[in-house]
Amino acid sequence: MSSSAGSREEAAAATLAVKATGLSKTYMGEAAPVPVFRNLEFTLAEGVFAAVMGPSGVGKSTLLHLLGGIDRPDSGRVEIFGVSLEDLGPRERARFRNERIGFVFQFHHLLPEFTAEENVAFPHRIAGVSSREARERAAALLERVGLADRRLHMSRALSGGEQQRVAIARALARSPSLLLADEPTGNLDAESARSVFDLLAELHRERGMTTVLVTHNPDLAKRCDKIFEMSREAILPATGFSG
Amino acid sequence: MSFETSIALRYLVASRRRAHVALISTISMLGLAVGVAALVISLSLLSGFQDRIRAQMAQRTPHLRVSPTRGAVLPDPERVHQALSSLAGVADVEPAIEGRGWASGSGVEATLPVRFRNAAAGELPEATEGDPPPARVSAAVATRTRSAAGDLLRLTSARTRLSPVGPIPVAIVFRVAAVRRVAALEKSPDVEVPEDAARLLSGVSTGARAFEAHLRDPNRAETAARGVALVLGPDYRVETWRQLNAPLSFALRLEKSVIFATVALVILVAALNIVSNIALTVVEKKRDLGVLTSLGATPGSLARIYLTLGAIIGALGTGLGLIVGVSASLLLDRYEVVRLPSDVYLLTHVPFAVHPREVALVAAFALATAVAAAVLPARAAARLAPGEAVRLSR
Repeated sequence: MSSSAGSREEAAAATLAVKATGLSKTYMGEAAPVPVFRNLEFTLAEGVFAAVMGPSGVGKSTLLHLLGGIDRPDSGRVEIFGVSLEDLGPRERARFRNERIGFVFQFHHLLPEFTAEENVAFPHRIAGVSSREARERAAALLERVGLADRRLHMSRALSGGEQQRVAIARALARSPSLLLADEPTGNLDAESARSVFDLLAELHRERGMTTVLVTHNPDLAKRCDKIFEMSREAILPATGFSG
Repeated sequence: MSFETSIALRYLVASRRRAHVALISTISMLGLAVGVAALVISLSLLSGFQDRIRAQMAQRTPHLRVSPTRGAVLPDPERVHQALSSLAGVADVEPAIEGRGWASGSGVEATLPVRFRNAAAGELPEATEGDPPPARVSAAVATRTRSAAGDLLRLTSARTRLSPVGPIPVAIVFRVAAVRRVAALEKSPDVEVPEDAARLLSGVSTGARAFEAHLRDPNRAETAARGVALVLGPDYRVETWRQLNAPLSFALRLEKSVIFATVALVILVAALNIVSNIALTVVEKKRDLGVLTSLGATPGSLARIYLTLGAIIGALGTGLGLIVGVSASLLLDRYEVVRLPSDVYLLTHVPFAVHPREVALVAAFALATAVAAAVLPARAAARLAPGEAVRLSR
């Protein structure tokens, strides 16, 4: 996939999917403030499958939360497909997230009281789609991720790999333009991790999305269009990866 | 069903892993149910007594009374009589001849200040030849003058008449025909006497101080009073039986309000339980809130989940409380479970009356309290930082 990265990036250069400028974030710790990163710059062209790597604690998850608008930077701006998240009110921001952005978390974060199908239907329900139609759409998506026979199972009754597939289906329910995946394979065995990554890659291709994948796995990262190395000071295209 | 409602319902039907939350929810619900049931039963008990008192009030008090705005006697009694008699649904129209005097029983030197008036037609037995005219006295007068049915009672008027030895008070001796029990604050005369005796004692030889009418439906008194007032004009005061008994009606309303406020404290205590229950759920489901935000839920939606949870707990608790409270009240009244000693009370048992309006008021109060209890935790849920909720909930 990385062999075609250059040409794809050139084609999409006119449209930036992600543009983050001067991002800084500090968490308020119990004893003292904990700075995460300062003055980060990050751009990504539309349609690119990018991997973000880096040591633990440099703020990879925080970066995804800022890009997805579920957290706010202390300073700096985030633009997604030309829309500045800072300029949106709480309702517009929520609608933007619902329609344009999909999240996959490391620990799947499915709602345990609900079935796989109900979990996948939530983005539609939040958008105001009727319960019946939302469940029909969710069932179709679960079939696509290979879980048609597990759709009525409670989410906590599924295996780790299955739960992550359900989480991917939920993230893609509203056909987002940007998928943010935070170590989606980090909690899985090698076989499940490969299977989940294959699914992500397929769906990325099928849907023409822009995907940002945070991972610690260099083998999976190599299969992405582009790899970024993140530190507390900068996110730079990675060196030392062949592919 | 909105997604907020489906999440609230699912949170309520807790899984085994959330048994402690299910237990607290059940306790909150039962607490509210107990409060609602207690309030319904208390109000039914009061209503049972008050309905009896009001029924007696409507029976004993004239439904309409027309008196002069100025002066002691009606300027045109015929006109007043005609205006009242021509009312639709009027049962009877009687003149009121009344005054003040002193009552004394046989063998008791002390006299008691009393209000007397003429009894309504047919209320007193016919006087036998040579016997003193009959009178009906209130229980208080009977006790204070040590009189019982069949005893003699002397009634001395405040009016005097001229005699060869100068002005002397007008006095008549009556035979007590009946003793009647009067509710506290009930506006009724102490002694009721035949019309001719009342005229003699009060000095109103013709006409009347007022005219009183009974209606077939006492609840129409206000409408009828407005009609009569329009016909008679400003020289006459038209009062209904509710206005005549205003102090008693006020006391009854006050009594009910105080009981409502006191017993409603149980519901408020139950509401505190709901606050802690929902706050616990907010803390426990913090991660879900972060995830729902990442899926596009607004802070308002997150708040609605918990407001709905409060409303569901409130509805279940209120529903259960209403069923228990209304059933208990109906059964207690139907089977006369709480008996009363008849020598002390006018009633043989404690009556319970369920008024739909009061039940609706209790239900609305309990529901509103339950939803209000959910407001604080719901606002906390809406203010939650979603990124932090997801980050810290691994």
